[in-house]
Amino acid sequence: MTKLKLSGVSKAYGATMALRHGDLEIEAGEVHVLIGANGSGKSTLCKIVAGSVRPDRGTVLIDDRPVTVSGPRAAKALGIGIFYQELSLAEHRSVAENILMPDLPRKGRLFVNREALAETAGRYIALFAQVAGEDLTADTPVGRLRADQRQLVEIMKALASKAPVLIFDEPTSALDRAQVDRFFEILRGLRNEGRSIVFISHRMDEIFAIGDRVTVIRDGETIGTTTIADTSPAAVIRMMVGEQEGLAVPQDAPPASATGGGTALSVAHLSGQGFSDVSFTVARGEILGLGGLHGQGQSALLRALFGAPPAHSGAVTLAGAALRTENPRSAITSGLAYVSGDRGRDGVITGRPILENVTPVHALRNRLMLASPGRLAAGALPALKALNTKFAGLSHPISSLSGGNQQKIVIARWLIDRPDVLLLDDPTKGIDLSAKADLFALIRKLAEDGLAIILYSSEDAELLNNADRILVFNGGSVRRELAGAERTRYNLYHAAYEAA
Amino acid sequence: MSQALSFLRNPLVVALALIVALLVLGNALSPGFASGQQILRLLIVAALLGIVAAGQNLVILGGREGIDLSVGGVVSLSAIVAGNAMNGLDAGIPAAILACVATGAFFGLLNGLGVTLLRIPPLVMTLGMLGVLQGLLVVIRQGVPSGRAAPALSEFVTRPFLLGLPGIIWLWIAIGLLMAFILNRTVLGHRIYAIGSNEHAAFMAGVPVRRMRVLLFVLSGVFSAIAGFCLLGYSGSSFANVGEQYMLASIIAVVLGGTPLSGGKGGYTGTMAGAVLLVILQSILTTINIEESGRQMVFGATLLLLMLFYGRGRGLRA
Repeated sequence: MTKLKLSGVSKAYGATMALRHGDLEIEAGEVHVLIGANGSGKSTLCKIVAGSVRPDRGTVLIDDRPVTVSGPRAAKALGIGIFYQELSLAEHRSVAENILMPDLPRKGRLFVNREALAETAGRYIALFAQVAGEDLTADTPVGRLRADQRQLVEIMKALASKAPVLIFDEPTSALDRAQVDRFFEILRGLRNEGRSIVFISHRMDEIFAIGDRVTVIRDGETIGTTTIADTSPAAVIRMMVGEQEGLAVPQDAPPASATGGGTALSVAHLSGQGFSDVSFTVARGEILGLGGLHGQGQSALLRALFGAPPAHSGAVTLAGAALRTENPRSAITSGLAYVSGDRGRDGVITGRPILENVTPVHALRNRLMLASPGRLAAGALPALKALNTKFAGLSHPISSLSGGNQQKIVIARWLIDRPDVLLLDDPTKGIDLSAKADLFALIRKLAEDGLAIILYSSEDAELLNNADRILVFNGGSVRRELAGAERTRYNLYHAAYEAA
Repeated sequence: MSQALSFLRNPLVVALALIVALLVLGNALSPGFASGQQILRLLIVAALLGIVAAGQNLVILGGREGIDLSVGGVVSLSAIVAGNAMNGLDAGIPAAILACVATGAFFGLLNGLGVTLLRIPPLVMTLGMLGVLQGLLVVIRQGVPSGRAAPALSEFVTRPFLLGLPGIIWLWIAIGLLMAFILNRTVLGHRIYAIGSNEHAAFMAGVPVRRMRVLLFVLSGVFSAIAGFCLLGYSGSSFANVGEQYMLASIIAVVLGGTPLSGGKGGYTGTMAGAVLLVILQSILTTINIEESGRQMVFGATLLLLMLFYGRGRGLRA
């Protein structure tokens, strides 16, 4: 019997189609795996079920009746419970209160029933008693728990909703093996009770351990659903990759400049917040790609190289000399440059003129005291021109420009004085196609001029088309290096999803 | 608002128009209000406020809830320090200047370190510092004469020096030019605006954010100290809490001049106009026999009104 059915749902954010055509059918009494690459639309699909996003088109059926999920409260009333990937716990409240937060037991109308709270919460905590650690008790404030314990509390909270449909969006990322095994036992129990479970994970072994069926989403469209027993990790990855020829045809050999330039930067056993024991080298003239799913340590590594914040341990060598970056300022004076895709947070100096947005790094590297507009403009204009930046005048505020041109201004900031190593942290996020093309043409040219470039992109096509080598990240460390003809979408996903 | 009237949105234009309007109003209420001599006296008072507001302006421009509530305490303390250092003698002036600047820089440094290293919000840090200074003033005043201004200092503040204007007006003009130069034509100025409008982006572009913030508080202390020094010349002898009125007034002058409390934009030229405007307003209130308590109420209400008008700028911050 079909419990939940979505057909032809779509959602656009402005000009971006987040979800083109989403179909999903969940039976009662199954664990249904949802899988898709970065930006394929699976999060949007989940948000539509959860009621936090309203679809532009398409229908949602629960028990064969059309419903409108108008918000999170409506989703709850319709019997949909969700585990949120971004933890939604109240730090200063107890474990018990957090587990039962959506529906605290009451005494009369006003007061919390403490006994019932402790008793009910205790039942959920007992489910994980063997694996959660002794310090996870009903009274412990959530703020004192470890990351894995918090994730367990979040799981308990979803279980406590007793909803017939449960959605788990990456529930196991912080859990250890024993905790995952226990969680899966509980999930199987729920399935046997007839509950419907949607399970999102990026770990192929987990998907094949717990799933009954799998639905693959690619580029905002549902590609197909198959029974787990009838498929293999390789076949699932092939469905995710699709027939996207032309997008990912690696050049037979990296350009000559990529091999003969000598080592620019070498990193040995670097560990920091979000990544551990990463080692690699990048040559002058080379574009080294960092691939894998979102948030597997790629950005954290780039930021650590730039000193924001610095790595905890390990060694970095720049042009033969040990490099110690304490903050961005020391990284810049050592010859590093860092372009962030989050220009609102890391890049744009809001409300200030274009000139002041292009020149801070130039002023620092040349130890300038005076900001003579003529002299600064002489430095800025060639860099802006190289990026085909469109602007009316250097004194206009940066906010008068389009997103793509704002990002070009921020990138130009780093190119007035040539750095030795350019760190690109998803630099094309939210900019239009022609700006992307301009940017990648420039990046290749910079590499040919002898710069060492490290590129992280959340768009696999950008990596496959532009990087000479790709390090695939998973869980904070490098799982595989793809070079030459190995640089295919299939291999990229294979390593990213740890298909054994 | 139509294109032709868009200049009305420029706070500087608004402030200048209000200055003229208030002078006309004052002259109507009390003939002679807008006489040359009277305007000169207003300008001297405005210069004292304007010098304090220069430091306040810098701290506010630097953003992150930047504000200096301790300016009044520094003004008072510095006036006492100066009075005791010169004790009515011209020869003591250089030492008095040094002592004042050191005093201002010291308390500004404490503010800056508290805000950056200890991460105490500026509002709390500088309010606490104001409490410390006020206590210190009480201790110092007990039994000790508070000192007298040297004749040359009084002359500098009150007597015409060049083109009929006293030295303090010229000092204020020089500070205005210096501030405009620093804010618009130096890397330091660009960095002040950068940390005020997007601190994190400034940090990622290599701006030493903490050091900058400490520097802004130090400068604020120094400007307040200079104002306290000049204030001694204006009043002849120093008495405790002579600087008390400057806290609220300096903030209002900055906001009136078009620098929002969220920082990152604005400048000192507007603040200068704001200071003049505020002094005229105060004078009108005195003319129509409103007591000090009433004037404070009007000032407080003015600041709240300004927040209503310019408050929307805050929401525009990314």
